[in-house]
Amino acid sequence: MLVLVWGLRAETFYFTVAGLGGEPEYEQRFSGWAKDLDKLLHEVEPHAKIKTLYGADATRANVEGYLREVAKEAKPEDSVVLMLIGHGTYDEFDYKFNLPGPDLSAAQLAALLDKLPTAHQLIVNMTSASGGSILALEKPKRVLITATKAGTEKNATVFPRYWIEGMRDPAADSDKNEIVTALEVFRYAEEKTSKFYETQKRLSTEHALIEDAGKGEGVKIPSAENGEGLTAGRFAVLHLGAAAVQSRDPAKLALLKQKEELEAAIDDLKYRKASMAVQEYRGQLQALLLELAKTQEALDK
Amino acid sequence: MINRFSFLVLLALPLAAQLPPAVQACATLRHHGDARADACYEKLTHSTDREVQAEGYWGIRNYKIANDLFRDAVKAKPKDPALRVRWGYLFFEHWQAGEAGKLFEEALELDEKNASALVGLAQLAADGYSARAIEFAKHALEIDPKAYQAEEVLARVALEDNNEAKAAEEAKKAVELSPEALDAMAILATIDWLNDKKTSPWLDKILKVNPRYGEAYDIAGHFFIINRRYEEGILKYRLALELDPHLEKARAAMGLNLMRLGREDEARAELERAWNAGYQPTESQNTLKLMDKYKDYDTFRTPTTVLKLGKKESALLRPYFQAELDRALATFERKYKYKLPGPVQVEVYPNHPDFEVRTMGMPGLGALGVTFDSVVAMDSPNSRKPGTFHWASTMWHELSHVYVLNMTKSRVPRWFTEGLAVYEETAASPDWGDRLDPDAIEAIKTKKLLPISDIDRGFMHPSYPAQVVVSYFQAGKICNFIDQKWGHDKLLAMIHDYAELKSTPDVIELEFKMKPEEFDRQFFAWLDAQTKRTVEGFDDWKKSIKGVAENAKAKKWDEVIREGLRIRDLYPDYVDAASVYEFLADAYEAKGDKAKEMAELARYSRIGGRNPTTLKQLATLQSEAGQKREAAATLERLNLIYPKDEDLHKRLGALYLDLNNSTLAVREFAAVVAGPPLDPAGAHYELARALKQANRTEEAKDEVLSALEAAPSFKPAQRLLLELNVKQ
Repeated sequence: MLVLVWGLRAETFYFTVAGLGGEPEYEQRFSGWAKDLDKLLHEVEPHAKIKTLYGADATRANVEGYLREVAKEAKPEDSVVLMLIGHGTYDEFDYKFNLPGPDLSAAQLAALLDKLPTAHQLIVNMTSASGGSILALEKPKRVLITATKAGTEKNATVFPRYWIEGMRDPAADSDKNEIVTALEVFRYAEEKTSKFYETQKRLSTEHALIEDAGKGEGVKIPSAENGEGLTAGRFAVLHLGAAAVQSRDPAKLALLKQKEELEAAIDDLKYRKASMAVQEYRGQLQALLLELAKTQEALDK
Repeated sequence: MINRFSFLVLLALPLAAQLPPAVQACATLRHHGDARADACYEKLTHSTDREVQAEGYWGIRNYKIANDLFRDAVKAKPKDPALRVRWGYLFFEHWQAGEAGKLFEEALELDEKNASALVGLAQLAADGYSARAIEFAKHALEIDPKAYQAEEVLARVALEDNNEAKAAEEAKKAVELSPEALDAMAILATIDWLNDKKTSPWLDKILKVNPRYGEAYDIAGHFFIINRRYEEGILKYRLALELDPHLEKARAAMGLNLMRLGREDEARAELERAWNAGYQPTESQNTLKLMDKYKDYDTFRTPTTVLKLGKKESALLRPYFQAELDRALATFERKYKYKLPGPVQVEVYPNHPDFEVRTMGMPGLGALGVTFDSVVAMDSPNSRKPGTFHWASTMWHELSHVYVLNMTKSRVPRWFTEGLAVYEETAASPDWGDRLDPDAIEAIKTKKLLPISDIDRGFMHPSYPAQVVVSYFQAGKICNFIDQKWGHDKLLAMIHDYAELKSTPDVIELEFKMKPEEFDRQFFAWLDAQTKRTVEGFDDWKKSIKGVAENAKAKKWDEVIREGLRIRDLYPDYVDAASVYEFLADAYEAKGDKAKEMAELARYSRIGGRNPTTLKQLATLQSEAGQKREAAATLERLNLIYPKDEDLHKRLGALYLDLNNSTLAVREFAAVVAGPPLDPAGAHYELARALKQANRTEEAKDEVLSALEAAPSFKPAQRLLLELNVKQ
C-alpha cells in the first residue's frame, strides 16, 4: 500500500531542464513544456525545491552547478526528480543531451547524479535518442524513464507532452490514493503516447521504457514478472491531497492502521478472486469496501 | 480484383495465324467444347517444339511447366512478338495481370502493329475498369479490322457503362466478324437476361457452337453482380457450373458473392473447393483469410437488424451504431414507403484492409462502405484517422442503397442509387455528407460534368482520376435538384420506374416531361447558380488561403482576420485541413475575442467541419459561455465521426449530468468504461454517478464496486458507496 511511499516527510528536489531546440518551433515547444512543468510543480508542491532551466540558461555549467548544490543540500531520505526535455543524440557509444554550448553526455550526468546523497532518484529523460542513455544512467533503486527505447530513435518525441499531462490529470492517479507515483505517470504517458501514434495512423518513432531494477534494460510494461516497476511504484512524484497530513497525525494512527488492514484484506480477496464464485466475491468485496469507506470517513473528520 | 474475363483466353480462338497448326486444332476442339481437346493438348506436351509443348501444358492447365517452356521458347526466339503475346495470355489466365501486361508491351515494342498484344492490353484495361480499354481495342481494330475480340471488349465496356444499345451493336459486329464469337453472343444473351427475358436466342446459338460453354453464364454473372443483382448473379454462376463443373473461376466468383450476402458457410465451401481444384488467385486467399477472422467479431441481432462489430470495439460502438441503424431504418421506411422483407446486416471492419477484401471486385474509388443487397460492409471509425470519416453519414448512405436495391430488385443504374444515397446523407443532417470539393469545382468550371444519359460512364470507366468522386457529387446534386423542384415523391416515382427496367432517358421523359437534354440544361443552370460564386472565386481563394496560412504562422493576426474574412464566403464549403474558419478562430483567440472565435468555429461545425480538436475547442468555448446544450450538441457530432475518444465521452457525460440528461450521461460514461479507459476507477465511478442520477441504483452499486475494486482508497467512490447503501 502506498502509505509507505517515499517522500512523505522528506524534501523533494524537482529539476527540469529544457535543452536546445535548434529551430524556433522546437525552442518554443521545449521551453513551453519546461514552463508548464515549473508552474504545475509550484501549484501542487509549493514547499518543494523547484529549479527549472530553459533557453539560454540551460547550459551544461548551470546543470552541473545546480546538481552540485543539491549534492550539498540534500539528505539521504530526500528525493530528486530530474526531467530532461529536448533533443538528444547518440553515436552508438555516447548519448548526449543537446544544450546551448557544450552538450552533456550521459556519462557526465551519471557522474553528477552518483554524487547526490539521495537514494531516491527519478530521472525522466524525455529527449529523442534517450534510450541511448539507459546503460550510463541505470543504477539499482534509481528510477530511470526514457522516451525512446534506443539511441537510434532520433525523431523529436511527444512523450513529454503526455508526461506533463499525466502529472496534471487526476486520472493518472490510478489507485486514487492522492499520491501520484512515477509508475503511474509513466503508464499514463506511455499509453497516451502509443495512442497518439495509433490514432494518427503513424508509425511510432518512440517507445518509452522504464528501468528501476538496475538491469540495464528498460521495459515498456513493468510487472512482477520482469521485476521492473517496484521502486517506481513507491516513488511519489506528486501529493494531491490530504494523505501526507493524515500520516503525520498521531490521533489517527489507529484508524490508519485499521485502514491498512482493510486494504490488505481487500488485496487478499482480489488475489483469491479467480477461485471464488462471483456472488461470494462481490459480497465480501462490498463488505470490506464499506468498512474501508467508513474508516476513511472517520479519518477525514 | 478478380479478372472476370481472363478465362476466355483459352477458349476464345486466338487471332488468325497466331498459333502453330497443331495447337490451332486443339484450340478449335476446346472452343467447340469437344471432349477430345484434353487429349489433343496432352499430345502436344510430347512435341519437340518448345512453343507447341508450352501450349500443350497450358492446355492441360499445368501452368508451371508451360511457363518454363514459354520462357525457354522466348529465349530461343527473342524477336517473336506472337510468342510473347501467348506467354502474356498464360499469365493473364493465371491471375498475374502485371506480368501479362509487361509481355504485351514487349510484344508491341517488337511489333507496334501487333493486334493480339493490343487486344490483350484492352482486356487487361477492361478488367481494371480503365477507360483505356476502348483506346486499345479501337487501335487493335485499326490494325486488324477482323479482330472480333476487340469488338467483344468494346461491347463489354459499353454494357458495364449501362449502354445496352452500344453494347449490342459492338457485340453484333463481333458476331458478324466471327459467327463463333462466343463471348459477344454471351454479352447479347446477358442483355436479354438483364432485361428479365427468361430465354435468349443467343444462348441457343452459343450452345450450338459449344454445348459446354459455361462461360456464357459466367459472363452474365459478372454483369448481374456489377449491377448489384447478387442473387441473380449467383444463380448464373450456378448455371455456369452446371454446364461446366470444372469452371472454377465461376465457382470462386459464386463463393465470393455468397460471402457478400452473408451466407458464409456455403461461401467458404465453394471458395475452398475452387482453391483445392487449383484456382488460387490472391483474392480467394484473402477472402478465405478474412472468413477465418470472423470469430473475432460479435454479432448482435434485433428483429430488423444484424450488427457485426469487432470484439475489441463492440462494447464501445454498439450503442451508437445500433441507434443510428434503427433511426435510419425508421426514417427510410417512412420516406420510401417501403418495409424491407428481412433484417439488414451491417458489418463494421476495424481493419481497413479487411474491409477492402470484403469489397473486392467492385469498381470505383476506395470506398468507405459498400452494400450487397441487404448486407452493408463498412469501415470502422477506428480504422481511419480521426476527422476523416463520418461513419454515420456512410452508414445512412449504404442503408439508402439497401432500400433502393430492395425496392427495384437491384434494377437501378449506378448513378441513381449513388446519387440518392449522397442526397440522403445531407437530408439526414446538413453537416453530413461531402462538401463541394476542389475536384467538383474544377469539373464545373471546365464543363466536365456528364449528361444524365451518360453519367454511369463516370462511375464505371472514369476518364480522369477524380471522375468517380465528381460523378458522386453530380449524381447527388441531381437528386437535390429533383427534390427541390419536383419534391421527394418524384424521386420515389423514379425508383419505381427503374424497378420496371426503364432506361434513364425514358424515366426523365416520363417523370419530367422533357428530353434528357432539356433536363441537363435546367440542372446545369440550377447548379451554376448555386456554385457560381465559388467557381468564379476559386482561383482567388486558392491563392489567398496560402497567404492566410503564412500570416497565421507568422502570428500576423490582423492580416489573418482581414484576408480571412474577405475570402471566407468565396468558398464556404471548405472545411478540410487548414480551413479559413480555423485560421480566423486562431486569430480571434490570440486577440482574446472568444465570442468571435466561437462564432467562426460554430460556422465551421455547422458547415460540416470534422476536426475533433477544433470541435472540442468549440465545445469548450460554448461550455465557458454557459451554452451547455450547444456544447453537448457539438460533442455529439464527434460521436458520429470518431467515437474512440475517452476525453470526448468524459466531457459529454459530464455535460449531460449537468443538463440532467441521465440516460445520455449513462451512455457516455459507459463508453468511457468500454474504451477501455486509462483510469478504470474514475470511469466506473462516473458511470455509477450517472446511473444513480438515472435511479438505476443496483447498477450504480455494481459500478461503484468496480471503481473501488480498482482503487479501494478512491474517496469520492467511497462516499458514493456509503450513500447508495444508506439509501438502501
